Amino acid sequence: MFEHLLFGNLTLNAIPFDVPIIMGADIFMIATFLLVIFLITFYRKWPYMWHEWVTSVDHKKIGIMYLILAGVMLLRGFSDVVLMRSQQAVAAGHSAGFLPPEHFDQIFSAHGVIMIFFVAMPFMFALLNIAVPLQIGARDVAYPYLNSLSFWMTFAGAMLCNASLLIGKFSAAGWLAYPPLSEWYYSPTEGVDYYIWSLQIAGVGTLLAGINFVATIIKMRCKGMTLMKMPIFVWSALCSMILVILAFPVLTVTLALLTLDRLLGMHFFTDFAGGNNMMYINLIWVWGHPEVYILILPAFGIFSEIVATFSQKKLFGYTTMVWAIAIIAFLSFVVWLHHFFTMGAGADVNAFFGIATMVIAIPTGVKIFNWLFTMYKGRIILATPMLWVAAFFTTFAIGGMTGVMLAIPPVDFELHNSLFLVAHFHNVLIGGTLFGFFAGIIYWFPKAFGFRLDEKWGIGSFVFWVIGFYIAFMPLYVLGLNGVTRRLDHYANTQYQPYFITAAIGAACVLIGIILQIIQLYVSIKNREALRDRTGDPWNGRTLEWSVSSPAPLYNFAVLPTVETLDQFWVNKHQHHTEGTVHPKDIHYHPIHLPKNTAAGFIIAMFSGITGFALIWHMWIPGIIGLLGVLITWIARTFSTDTDFYIDAETVRKTELAHIKEKV
Amino acid sequence: MHREITAVEGHYAESDSTDVFGFWLYIMTDCILFGCLFATFVVLNDGNATGPLLKNYVDLKTVLSETFFLLASNFTFCLAMLNLYHRKLLKVQAWLIVTFLLGASFIFLELREFITFAKAGFAWNINAHASSFFTLVGTHGLHVSCGLFWILIMIIQLPLIKAAHIAERRMTYLGLFWNFLDIVWVFVFTVVYLTGAM
Amino acid sequence: MIHQEEVDYGTGQKKLGIYLLGLVSCSLLTLLSFWVVMSERLAKWEIFVIIYLSALVQFFVQLICFLRLNTQTEQGRNNVISFVFTAVILTSLFIGSLWIMWNLNYNMQH
Repeated sequence: MFEHLLFGNLTLNAIPFDVPIIMGADIFMIATFLLVIFLITFYRKWPYMWHEWVTSVDHKKIGIMYLILAGVMLLRGFSDVVLMRSQQAVAAGHSAGFLPPEHFDQIFSAHGVIMIFFVAMPFMFALLNIAVPLQIGARDVAYPYLNSLSFWMTFAGAMLCNASLLIGKFSAAGWLAYPPLSEWYYSPTEGVDYYIWSLQIAGVGTLLAGINFVATIIKMRCKGMTLMKMPIFVWSALCSMILVILAFPVLTVTLALLTLDRLLGMHFFTDFAGGNNMMYINLIWVWGHPEVYILILPAFGIFSEIVATFSQKKLFGYTTMVWAIAIIAFLSFVVWLHHFFTMGAGADVNAFFGIATMVIAIPTGVKIFNWLFTMYKGRIILATPMLWVAAFFTTFAIGGMTGVMLAIPPVDFELHNSLFLVAHFHNVLIGGTLFGFFAGIIYWFPKAFGFRLDEKWGIGSFVFWVIGFYIAFMPLYVLGLNGVTRRLDHYANTQYQPYFITAAIGAACVLIGIILQIIQLYVSIKNREALRDRTGDPWNGRTLEWSVSSPAPLYNFAVLPTVETLDQFWVNKHQHHTEGTVHPKDIHYHPIHLPKNTAAGFIIAMFSGITGFALIWHMWIPGIIGLLGVLITWIARTFSTDTDFYIDAETVRKTELAHIKEKV
Repeated sequence: MHREITAVEGHYAESDSTDVFGFWLYIMTDCILFGCLFATFVVLNDGNATGPLLKNYVDLKTVLSETFFLLASNFTFCLAMLNLYHRKLLKVQAWLIVTFLLGASFIFLELREFITFAKAGFAWNINAHASSFFTLVGTHGLHVSCGLFWILIMIIQLPLIKAAHIAERRMTYLGLFWNFLDIVWVFVFTVVYLTGAM
Repeated sequence: MIHQEEVDYGTGQKKLGIYLLGLVSCSLLTLLSFWVVMSERLAKWEIFVIIYLSALVQFFVQLICFLRLNTQTEQGRNNVISFVFTAVILTSLFIGSLWIMWNLNYNMQH
């Protein structure tokens, strides 16, 4: 009895010793993990890691940690791609391929979950953390401790998802786990529970980050920066975070109701005793649609910044751009039914949501035209960020147009859940979100790390990514129009095989692109002195983050800036203001008040992870211990009075003067 | 919490305002959370429910008592806040204890109701109607219980807080939370109990 | 010593009179709703309208008297705007879900 409370359903059988592919992946994962541990121990960096990174509440460091998480999980999510594309390329006619169906199902489920929750979202938060406080002239975000907590909660969710690779199985119910398949009756194992708890824990992190950034942007802008003088990226961040605040609670509730069904035998979504599985689908898409806009809006913001900077011209139509972002954000809440046109809501409902969906194309179109008008008569610098923008224009436009096609209910009745749909959403997610975030990270990399990324390898990776994308996904459009459904582990009609093989070749090209990105990173780190950014402004930028050193000092700004107009930094640079500006060595510096590092965020997240793992395996005692750990740490911290410190004025002065020296 | 100081030491008004705004945003997310639970409740109660129905078990007099306990606790918390601004710490703790007792009475009545229902056959795993009832009302009750626990912590912590603005800020959070829960209860008793009993 | 007037929480001035007004109004509205249902004197639709209207009024009374939501200060306006956004989305979510689910249930039942 006691053993059952302690170990729940967990046995040694949970480790898949009999499946070579998974064991291979597990050995690779454990080996990498042990290598990292070994290297840190060998170089005696544990105190450094703990004091400088794990307990950091500095948005700049937290941004970098989000970035590393996104990068690592991208590799895991992409390994799912390699497996799926290989399987579909060979499993034609009588061949069953090399992946049994239940394994294939876990792979496509994990792929979706990882790419959305543990690659795209962390990547977005990385860029928000690195850029937003600097762009609004603030010292940090509104709640630095919660910022740390948000990151570590996301990390804990990702680690739970990774644990499912070694211990037990992941969900085989798709990235959204529709009932009744995800109910206990049809999925009586730990898989769906892994799915639920990784998402719930990461979801709490995301929700807190959403609150954090909205409060930061509304309340902590520097003097003179009214809402209509903010950089456009900050506007896109604000709208995206408002969407997070309004949409993520719906995900939390929906997954909680599914948990209650599975754990306590309730009947929200069961197919008997009054349950209604359509309500799950309804609610999950009430969240799901805003989620994709949460991902694309910051990408739009990044494009605006990059197009303006690399055309060396003011963004065309700032006001209409802001309105377009706001309208897109609002509309994203009234279109969710287009994800289930075919499920029987009838013509009236379908017509309303179809029209609403098509309307979103209008403000998006306004944005694309404004970007093109910004480039027109600009002096364009075709650095790598701008290349990604160029690829985005075409790719996202195609993806958007296929979206408008799908928005027409009768068309959707043909194409729902076909490969056409899969091609569409990858088109907009990769062409829009991912290309945008790649552009953003190349753009802000110098600000975060102090040196630029190598251009040549950057161009190489860009070429392979873009070519690979088109070769991988255009065949899927054709297949979808021919009636091929998604999530097939094998298919009878061998006439489809050439298309699947082409798609696999495309995936291989993207793999080369990723390898080139890794090489780019390695080469850039090796040559970092040659690539160093000494001025703080490597791209001749327009916004405030380029007015501080690279990387920015701990306190961001020695003296908080005052702005009078949009792109104040650009205006100051080009009006050659010499009178009225004080030389840095004559400025009177004040001590700067900053928050202290804290382990609380990390500890709470680790206990949350333990609780999640325990609940997955019905290990009730560890679960209670985990929950108590979370509570006690949370409450203990509220009793702490030692939460902040001052940097003295002399240190500030020395740091500022050192930056002036390196500029010269 | 991030605090920007000016030349004058101890000027925390801006950051305290930001902190409470963040808590208000959290309350907004809680509104959405309850909104989903209400929507689910209404959808799963389209009148065609099979099995036991709430109206056969509910005792409106108990619900009325619960309502008044919660409303009174809402008021006594506001009295605690008033005393906090007049720096009367002992009175704050006294009113907090009263608030706690009123809130605990609410939870006691609600738990008793749940146990009575479950024993009589109206349990959370019997049908969707019951599941949505227990979840919606139970989630509200869970929030109230967390609030009660928070009130206890506050009673213990208040004498230990040196800076008055920190005490005011934390009590403001709790006040927003407690008031918000009473507002949700208004909708709970209307949509769940009164409509269900008709 | 910082006085409450200096920090803008977006909540109005704290006054005993307003709290008492809130307490009394809410009590009366609650009693009205419960009495209307428990006495079973009116038609079903009339009861329905009264209890929902009463809930709506009590909601606003609580917002104004206890939460002290107002637009006088800048933070007050921030709070009201966030609240309006949330209310709009909640309405859309609620009405949208009910409309969709009613249609689904109707169409899929035959």
